[in-house]
Amino acid sequence: MKRDFLSGGVLIALAAAYYIATGTIAESTLSDEIGATGLPRLLAMLLAFIGLALIARTAFVALAARRANVPQIPAEEEEGAPLPRAVGLLLIGGAYVLLLPFLGYFLSVALLIGAVAFYEGAARSWVLPTAALGGATLYWAIFVKLLGVHQPAGSLFQGWLS
Amino acid sequence: MTTFWDILHLLTATPLVPVAILGLTWGILGGALPGISASITMALVLPFTYTMDPAMAIALLACVYIGAEYGGSIPAILIRTPGTNSSAATVIDGYELNRQGRAGEALGISLMSGVVGSLFGLAMLALLTEPLSWLALAFKPTSYFALGILGLSVIASMGGDSLLKGLASAVVGLMIATVGTDPISGVTRFTFDVADLLSGVEPVVVMVGLFALTELMSQSGSTSVTQLGGSIRIRLPGWAMMRKLRRSQAIGCFLGLFEGLTPGGGGSVAAFMSYNEARRWSKTPEQFGKGSEEGIAAPEAANNTVASTALIPLLSFGIPSSNSTAVLLGGLLMHGLLPGPRLFEQNPQVIDSLYVGSLIAIIAQIGVGVLILPACIWLVNRPRPYRAGFILALILSGLFTLNNSPFDLGLALALGLMGYLMRLARFPVLPMILGVVLGHMVESSYRRSLVLSGGDFHIFIEDPIAVGLLGAALFFIVFSLAREYRDARRTQLQETHS
Repeated sequence: MKRDFLSGGVLIALAAAYYIATGTIAESTLSDEIGATGLPRLLAMLLAFIGLALIARTAFVALAARRANVPQIPAEEEEGAPLPRAVGLLLIGGAYVLLLPFLGYFLSVALLIGAVAFYEGAARSWVLPTAALGGATLYWAIFVKLLGVHQPAGSLFQGWLS
Repeated sequence: MTTFWDILHLLTATPLVPVAILGLTWGILGGALPGISASITMALVLPFTYTMDPAMAIALLACVYIGAEYGGSIPAILIRTPGTNSSAATVIDGYELNRQGRAGEALGISLMSGVVGSLFGLAMLALLTEPLSWLALAFKPTSYFALGILGLSVIASMGGDSLLKGLASAVVGLMIATVGTDPISGVTRFTFDVADLLSGVEPVVVMVGLFALTELMSQSGSTSVTQLGGSIRIRLPGWAMMRKLRRSQAIGCFLGLFEGLTPGGGGSVAAFMSYNEARRWSKTPEQFGKGSEEGIAAPEAANNTVASTALIPLLSFGIPSSNSTAVLLGGLLMHGLLPGPRLFEQNPQVIDSLYVGSLIAIIAQIGVGVLILPACIWLVNRPRPYRAGFILALILSGLFTLNNSPFDLGLALALGLMGYLMRLARFPVLPMILGVVLGHMVESSYRRSLVLSGGDFHIFIEDPIAVGLLGAALFFIVFSLAREYRDARRTQLQETHS
């Protein structure tokens, strides 16, 4: 219930922010009847309406349940990982993006595999660095050597592993 | 018209055979990993197709889809955990047979029923797609706008437990699609002076973020252990068994055709429906749930049929009906290919490669399915923390190949977080992906229509096709609202009585 109230609020805030951002769109002499801002503004209003409807529906359901003296339904148990845990994984991915231009592809991807495996509960043993380096070698061979993708060589080693 | 020589050319002068087998292999391996659905398996390989020849890229994606549908049944039978949603119905009797020491037999029935379903689905795809696509020639910009709205409404109304949430997801997808250069006037929108956003947000980045990264985040910290026995050998069914299974396979094929053509249907619905129907028509319904061979054959034939027939509305009208076909549409758009009759006229090699590649994959599935089982078992048995590390590295390495830009990686990570929060709040992600994919078509058709009419909105009710499609969209929305209201009333009544 609370979650739907919050979701409705977020939708309205998002719609407002998006509507305000349409003010940054420049006018064009080539513009048609609707213009570059036409659809975005319509979408913003539609999203705000959906947000309001979600809040109204949630309030209506809560009110009806109270009138009928229906006991509160306990919140359903969340599926999957809790938010901080999931965000931690995302931060490791973010660190990879930041380190990539500096360390280069090979080292960054080795650190990424090792860090994620460790974060996900892999034991501290020789397997962890071996798997990380083995994985990095595999991906480096596939992406850089086989597919010819120009992955960052890294400023630290001056492209030693490119 | 495709001739024998065209097919021979495809087989001998292009890498179609290895591409099909590679796609199939990747699909089986991905589908076999619990939590990695067919769409995620396809999304993971999507960035790799960026530099490929478009015909080979599309064939590869279609073969991954075929492989994943079979791959999903491996853990369903062996560890009671469906690898993909559409193999959930296979768990019921597949695992029961495994418990009776007949895992090899169950896997063989799943494999061969999948082949039967895939062959039937491919035949229907080849027969129905092109004639249907010619209908699209009568489409005007107003019709295309209405078609886009219909696609979004259907997916929004069928995708989750709340119509409002589905619609909100679709609108946010359309908003993301407005980022970049305006399709009519050429001015930039919502780019905030970021050069990487000038060409808009790539649907591939959105798909990988919302499907693959969200799933990885949701599974983070999971302690579930999956261990498969290593000594299982597939036993393909003999003629007598195939004769016994023909009724349930036919039910699976028919319902797979029906569900594949229905927007929002998908393999899991087809699989469960065909399981129920196979039990109803079976001579031994009491065996269902206790290790019935027919209980595996019907859902496996159904979900493999859907893997082909779901491409019919996609290729004819550009409307994806499921996550996997949305990824395939992303692949088509990434290569500048627009579904519809023009695709058949201007890029027949793409269609030929898709059909011939799928046929190769279906036939090869018998051999590859048998040979790859030990590799699947090895892969599923790897510790989950290492699997997570390798998958995240694969996602980020693959995404970098799109534009050689770290910006895409950051964007995908942000979208992964968004998908995770949407999952927490129970918002479906498919309408958002469709919004991103169809956004350009919806906006440009809408504005072109109004340019043609000089700003008069009556143009939308003067086109009978647009009226029909918008009416259908309205029907789906009203139907979904009525269903939600009925469900809410029923729950309330039950609670009051208890």
